[in-house]
Amino acid sequence: MDFFTACVWAAGIAIGVAAFGCGIGQGMGLNGAVQGIARNPESSGKVTVTLLIGLAMIESLCIYALVVALILIYAHPQAADILKTIAGS
Amino acid sequence: MDMDIHRRMASFVVKSNWFLFVVATLLGFINTPFKFALGILCGGILVTLNFHLLRHTLYKAFDPSKMEFSSRNMTPWQGRSILNAVLFKYYIRFAISGIVIFALINKNIVEPMGLIIGLSVVVASIMAATALELTRLIFKEAV
Repeated sequence: MDFFTACVWAAGIAIGVAAFGCGIGQGMGLNGAVQGIARNPESSGKVTVTLLIGLAMIESLCIYALVVALILIYAHPQAADILKTIAGS
Repeated sequence: MDMDIHRRMASFVVKSNWFLFVVATLLGFINTPFKFALGILCGGILVTLNFHLLRHTLYKAFDPSKMEFSSRNMTPWQGRSILNAVLFKYYIRFAISGIVIFALINKNIVEPMGLIIGLSVVVASIMAATALELTRLIFKEAV
């Protein structure tokens, strides 16, 4: 398989898996928070702060995956060298 | 007591976000090439705005005074609607971030490594807040 085609495949699969995992993680976190607040509404402040920090961490993971995927497609660090190698062979 | 820790952490994260963003951007423009520094600036703005929007969404969704239900009459449907609203807003924010990052990298406006450093501002401030609280806890226990 062509190297650049493989890069596009890798980027697509990477962002798909990352978004899926982050969506599941955020959904589970929110589910727990909603249940916690429904059982004990006074704990709303504590739960919201903890949830905010947790969700920000999860979200940043997905953004990192997106950046790496876009680097693989549009700004591959070794793209020029690989093109030279392909052209030479 | 616990509530104080939570409030303190939240305000620390918000303040240190802006502080780290300004420091990283200034250091970037002084020490690194323009595209790299621009990456830090764009990544920092993007992730800080994202964090503030997330904060606004969560405080709005979980504000007890605005909740139309109490714990006694909350139905599973109402809980699920909060969940769906927050997740829907997350996907909207993520899509907008994706489009912006795509444009920045595709048009070669910024250096990708600078962008990653800029995007790490929120994570760094959360790590700093956690480290600070842990240090406080350890020293308090030692005393």
